[in-house]
Amino acid sequence: MEHENPSGGNRRNFLIQLTSVVGGAGVAAACVPLVSSMNPSSDVLAKAETEVDLTGIPPGGMHTVAWQGKPVFVLHRTPEQIKESQASNGVIDPEADAKRAKNPEWLVVLGVCTHMGCVPNKEGPGWVCHCHGSVYDDSGRVTHGPAPRNLEVPPYHFLSENKLVIGKA
Amino acid sequence: MNVFLKVALLCSLSVYAWGSEEKLDKVVVEKDLPSIERGAEALMNSCHSCHSLKYIKYRDLIAFGISKQKVDGWRGEQPLDTPLMAQMSEADAEQAFSTKPPDLSLMTKARDGDENYLYSYLLAYYTTAEGVVSNHIFPTTKMPDPLGMSGSPDAAQHAVIEGQARDIVSFLSWAADPHEAERLQLGKYIIGYLLVLTALFYLVKKQIWARLK
Amino acid sequence: MANNIMNWIDERFPLTSFVKHDLTDYPTPRNLSYWWNFGFLAGIVLVLQLITGIFLAMHYKADVAMSFDSIQHIMRDVNYGWLLRYMHATGASAFFFVIFTHMARTLYYGSYRAPRELLWWTGQGLLLLLMATAFMGYLLPWGQMSFWGATVITNLFKATPFIGDQVVIWLRGDYTVGDATLTRFFALHYLMPFVIVGAVVIHLVALHSVKSSNPSGIDLAAKDNIPFHPYFTIKDLYGLGIFLIVYSVFVFFMPNSLMEPANNIPANPMVTPNHIVPEWYFLPFYAILRSVPNMVGGVIAMGLSVMLFAFMPFLDRSRIPGGARYRPFYRLQFYLFLIDMVLLGWVGYVHPTDQTILIGQVATFVYFASFFFVPMISKMEESWLIKRGLPAEVMVLIDSEANEIAKKQLKKNQRNGVQS
Repeated sequence: MEHENPSGGNRRNFLIQLTSVVGGAGVAAACVPLVSSMNPSSDVLAKAETEVDLTGIPPGGMHTVAWQGKPVFVLHRTPEQIKESQASNGVIDPEADAKRAKNPEWLVVLGVCTHMGCVPNKEGPGWVCHCHGSVYDDSGRVTHGPAPRNLEVPPYHFLSENKLVIGKA
Repeated sequence: MNVFLKVALLCSLSVYAWGSEEKLDKVVVEKDLPSIERGAEALMNSCHSCHSLKYIKYRDLIAFGISKQKVDGWRGEQPLDTPLMAQMSEADAEQAFSTKPPDLSLMTKARDGDENYLYSYLLAYYTTAEGVVSNHIFPTTKMPDPLGMSGSPDAAQHAVIEGQARDIVSFLSWAADPHEAERLQLGKYIIGYLLVLTALFYLVKKQIWARLK
Repeated sequence: MANNIMNWIDERFPLTSFVKHDLTDYPTPRNLSYWWNFGFLAGIVLVLQLITGIFLAMHYKADVAMSFDSIQHIMRDVNYGWLLRYMHATGASAFFFVIFTHMARTLYYGSYRAPRELLWWTGQGLLLLLMATAFMGYLLPWGQMSFWGATVITNLFKATPFIGDQVVIWLRGDYTVGDATLTRFFALHYLMPFVIVGAVVIHLVALHSVKSSNPSGIDLAAKDNIPFHPYFTIKDLYGLGIFLIVYSVFVFFMPNSLMEPANNIPANPMVTPNHIVPEWYFLPFYAILRSVPNMVGGVIAMGLSVMLFAFMPFLDRSRIPGGARYRPFYRLQFYLFLIDMVLLGWVGYVHPTDQTILIGQVATFVYFASFFFVPMISKMEESWLIKRGLPAEVMVLIDSEANEIAKKQLKKNQRNGVQS
C-alpha cells in the first residue's frame, strides 16, 4: 500500500474539517424533529385554554373545571366572603385579595395543594386538604400549614360578563 | 440491454395505465388560501349536512387562516376543539341513503386517481333519457347530485359548478394532508443541504483515494 | 489521560484490537465498485427504521378502535409526526430496494460462492426476517389494504398439513384478523428489528471471516487490499449522500406514491376492496402464488421462490471464478431473471385476466427454470469457455484451484495412510 502522509496537505484537512462540521450539523438537525415529536402535540396544546360559562354558578357556589388536565376552582363569592377575604392578607404567605381576584366576585385558583399536590376539598370558609391537613381561606390563601404557599392563580381573563377564559391573562 | 429497458418501461406504463379505468378529468388543485376558503364554504353548504370531516377541527380551519367570523358562523355554539361532524346523525343518513356517507377527511387520498377522481365524480352527474339522475364515474352512487350538474346547466352555470368542484377538491386536498406546504418547503431545504453534503463527500472521497497510486 | 483510559479498557476488553481488526485496518479489496455500497446502506436504513419506529410507537395505539385514528393523530397533531411516518413508510420500500440491489449484486458477481455460503445464507435469513417485519408493520395502520393483506397472507397457512385451519386461527388469535392479531403484530413488529440487528451482527462476523468478494471474482493478493478506513468509510458516506437525496425526494415530494389509496379507508371486515395488492416488494412472489392453480401448490411455490436463492452455491457448478464477468451465459441468465422478476411484479399488480394469468404462469415457469438449469448451463458454459480459451489469469486460477484440491486430497490420503 502506497500511502501519502495522511496529515499532509492543508486543503485536504480543511475540506475534511468542513465536511465533518456540515455532516455533524445535519445529524444534530435531524434530532430536532425527534425531540420535538415528544413535546405536547397540537391537540394537547389546544387544551391550553379552557372556556368557562359562569351563568350556572350561583353566589357561594363553586365549579371545578379541568384546565390542562388540572382542576381549577371557580368560586362565586358572596359579599360576605369578599369582605372577609379583603379584611386580611393571610398569615403564612401574605398577599392582598385584590391581587388574587381580578373581579372580587370571582375567585379562580388552581385546585392543587402547594404542599404535595393533592386536591383540597371545599369545607367551611375556604378549603381543606386532607392529605396533610393544610387549610386555605376563601381567597385561596393558606391559613394553616404544612402548605408553604397560597393556591396558585392561573392566568385568566373575562371574555364577557359570563364567559371566563383560563390559560391566558 | 436497450430491449430490456423498453420491455421494463412498457410494463411500468401498463401498470400506470391500469390505475385509471375511467377517463378522469384532470384538475389543477389550487393551494392558495382563497380557493381553500371558498372550498370550505362550498363544502359547508353542499356536503357537510351528510358528510363529516372528523379529523379536522374548527380550530384547524382558523389556524390555517380561514376567517374566524366564517368559522364561528359554522360552529355555532360548539367549542373550537370540535371536529366537523355531519349535521345529520349517522343513523338518519343511513336510513335516508341506505348507506353511510363516508368521512371526507382523507377522501382525496382514498380513491384511485386522487383529486382527479373526486373532481370528475362531482361533475359526472347527468340525467338519463328516462329522467333518472345517474353518475358516469360511479353509477351506483347513493349520493344525490350536490352541485346540480344533472340539471342540464347552461355554459355560465357549468363554469360556476366546475369552479365549485375545483374549490371543494382544493379544500379536501388540504384537509387530507394539512402539512403538505410545510413538507414541500422543508423538502427543498433538506435536498439542498444533502446536495452540498454529498458534493463535499465526493471531494473528500476523491482526495482520499488520490493517496493510493 | 485518554491513553490511560484506553489501556485500562484494553486490559479488560479488546476494544482497540477490535476497532483495528474490524473497522480501521480491516483489509478491503481496492477494486470494489459502487455496487458494494448497498450493504452499508442497508445498515443505515435499518437504523433509520429503528429510530423513526421507536418515536412513532410513542404515539401509535395498537387497538382496532384506535389505530387508524392514532395514525391520523400522528399525521396531523404530533410535531413532525408526518415526517416520522412518511420516513418510516418510505423507509420500508427503501429497505427492500437496497436489499434487492444487494442481492442482485451478489448474484451477478457470484459472491455467494465458496467460501461465502454462510454469509449468503445469513443474508437469506435476514431477508426472511425483513419480509416478516414489513408484513406485520403493514397491518398497523389498520386500513383496508392492511386488513385484507393480513387476511390473505395469514390464510396462506391453511396450507399447513392436517392442522391448517387451527394454525390460521392461532396466528390471528381470532376467527378473523382482529384486535388480537393487531396487538400481537405490533408487539412482534417492535421486537423483530432487534432480532434483525442480532442477525446483522452474525452476517458481519461471517463477512469478516471470509472478507469481501470483489468484482473480479478472484480473491485479491494482500497487496491489493486497502484498509477500510478512510477509503471505504468515505466511499460509503458518498454513496449514503446520494441515497439520502433519492430517499428525501420520495419522503418530501411524493410520499403517497408508494401507498395504496385503499389504505386511507379504515379497515372494514365486511367489504373487500376490488383490487387487493401487496406492497411492490412482495409483488413478484405474490404473482407466483397466484400463478399456481392449487392453493397448497401456490403456497409451496411462493415459499420456494424466496428460498431457492439459498441453493445457488450448490446449483452454480462452474469452476470459472466470479459471476457474470467471464461468463456470457450466466450474464444473459441474470438479465433474463431480472426481466422475469419485473414481469412477475407487473402480473402481481394487475387485476387477473386470462391473459395475465397465462403470462404469470410462463413467468413463474421461467423463474423456477432459471434455477433448475443453472447446474447444467454452468457446466456446459464452463467447458465451452475453456475450449474457446479464457484469459490466462483465469486459467491459472482454475488450475491452481485444481492443484490445491489435489494437494488437499493428497494430504488427506497421507494422513489416512499414517493412521491406518
